[in-house]
Amino acid sequence: MKKKSLRKNGSSWLMLLPLYIFTLLFVLGPLVYMVVLSFKMRADVWGVLDIFTLSNYKNIFEPVYLNTFLQSFKLAFTSTVLIALIGYPFGYFMAKLSAAWKKRMMIVLMIPFWTNSLIRLYGWIIIFRANGSLDKILMGTGITSAPLKLLYTYPAVVVGMVYALLQFMILAVYSSAEKMDWSLVEAARDLGATSWKAFTSVTLKMTLPGLMSGIILTFIPSMGLFFIADILGGNKVVLVGSLIQDQLMKAHNWPFAAALSVVLMIMTTLMISLYKKLTNTTELEGLL
Amino acid sequence: MKKILAITLTLALAVSAFAGCGAASSSAAVSTTTQSASTASAAGSTELNLYTWEGMFPQEVLDGFTAETGIKVNYSSFDTDETMLAKLETSKGGDYDLVIADDYIIETAIAEGLVTELDKSLISNIGNINPVYQGQFFDPEDAYTVPYGAGVQTIVYNPTVITKEINGYADLWDASLADSIGIIGNYRVIDGMALKVLGESYNTTDTATIEKAGAKLLELAPNIRLIKDDNLQDDLISGEINAAVMYTSQVTAACLANPDLKVVYPSEGIGFGVMAQFIPSNAPHSDAAYAFIDYILKPEVSKTCFEALGYYCTNKAADELIDDAYKSFLTLPSDFSGETEMIQNIAAEADEAHVKVWTEFKSACGQ
Repeated sequence: MKKKSLRKNGSSWLMLLPLYIFTLLFVLGPLVYMVVLSFKMRADVWGVLDIFTLSNYKNIFEPVYLNTFLQSFKLAFTSTVLIALIGYPFGYFMAKLSAAWKKRMMIVLMIPFWTNSLIRLYGWIIIFRANGSLDKILMGTGITSAPLKLLYTYPAVVVGMVYALLQFMILAVYSSAEKMDWSLVEAARDLGATSWKAFTSVTLKMTLPGLMSGIILTFIPSMGLFFIADILGGNKVVLVGSLIQDQLMKAHNWPFAAALSVVLMIMTTLMISLYKKLTNTTELEGLL
Repeated sequence: MKKILAITLTLALAVSAFAGCGAASSSAAVSTTTQSASTASAAGSTELNLYTWEGMFPQEVLDGFTAETGIKVNYSSFDTDETMLAKLETSKGGDYDLVIADDYIIETAIAEGLVTELDKSLISNIGNINPVYQGQFFDPEDAYTVPYGAGVQTIVYNPTVITKEINGYADLWDASLADSIGIIGNYRVIDGMALKVLGESYNTTDTATIEKAGAKLLELAPNIRLIKDDNLQDDLISGEINAAVMYTSQVTAACLANPDLKVVYPSEGIGFGVMAQFIPSNAPHSDAAYAFIDYILKPEVSKTCFEALGYYCTNKAADELIDDAYKSFLTLPSDFSGETEMIQNIAAEADEAHVKVWTEFKSACGQ
């Protein structure tokens, strides 16, 4: 008996080994490298010097760089609110469909993921550009008389963000609304609640974990999805992500890029723990 | 169900995360031209390991070289100069026989002892090089490199839309150009425009001067519609922007698509960058590299190369062969006597001042 359990333990340990090695090598390794790098000093032209410095972190407090965090936050907030407003009703009503239609809707939601998101964004360029599809419709119906400058504007960026992340909200809300026991709503109605009251006191509360994980799933990526701001915003909205890219690829200031990444990661972690505290949940629908 | 959903979401997230890197993939793809050598060279190497960006030579030129010398070309490519330098450091100047890269990185490579001093007696066509591009900061004695193509900082605009005549960088600040200019995302080039307008050098290390240029640059922000590195010419051709400061190959593409576009050599003086060939210090087939350098310097071969490449011709002897359709943007005017200055590596402190100015400027463009 004892022998058997020992062997069982041993083999499960072996089974997990690849996972541990993978995690150490590809998750923890780069993270440690990044943190170490963020305390080093850049060389004048090429590479990094092995000199300990806090200047990379000090540098982040320059108003111009703090502003990029503020801009990222603003864009992420705007996008998330819009996504919640569109995605919540979508997921909610999707959960009320018949099983066959649910399947169809799921396929419709998933198909765009088969295409590279960059290519899908280029689709928006065709719609937004001067004399593009949207301009043609607006001018054809006489709403506007001249081409609008729609591309490379802030609203274009927000549309791109909403488009890129909407699915995450819909699926998160859907999965919690689908699991919900609808007889509770019926019970509330039977006990005299108006349909609005039943919604706010029962449905909303029951689907809150879904909504919240939807918010996390959209807010956190939108802090980093700088390529949307680059492509649809003409690079004029400077987000933390684009700043990190600039530092890495153009300024060759890897230590500063690492410091920015570390701060961004800390912020993200704080947001998740804040969320957990606020909602008092340990379970994120479809996320953790 | 939940499990499936979790997996789907994770996958989706992973896919969208990778999408951002899509533009910068495919580094160091090795493509080998495998045509059989018609005549094997009597003595010496039968292959050449060429290392440069993708698409630097038309296939017919590589084939022509193999046909003439019997040397097979193994073409490896890199995405960025930095990748190249890192590889060269790892191989201690070996593995590759000939590298073509940007000026500033060559300066570093030479300083690190990764470059062979050229034996010019092996390059019979060396006299064909345009002297404008020689004796520059990265190789003042021309001891290590042979230029292959130059990027010249010009302004391109569409005179049918922009009525104001543009002669220099200062004209871009004009209020009539509001929300109509596209620029590349190269902070040294763009900050440099403001430095030039103020009459300063591209390579000033005085942070106060750089900050002054930054303040000047902020006044340009309302005129900037777009900052983009890749395919900026498309926006000029489609009319999304009407004036642009962009890379030379983009200027070439734009002018070929719309001959009405006007190319201006800024009155403040022009900046340029040179791509140059060098032989790494431990090149396994340096004789093949010399043969290739010499072959490319032949005027008719250069002509084919530069017309395909779209960069300024660095071969003086090839200038007159260049087709008229390309002449105005592949060769400098014959009476060209303007001031020239190259952008060089500068001290970290000055570079950081540049990046700060640039970030402020970019944010201001979005306001």
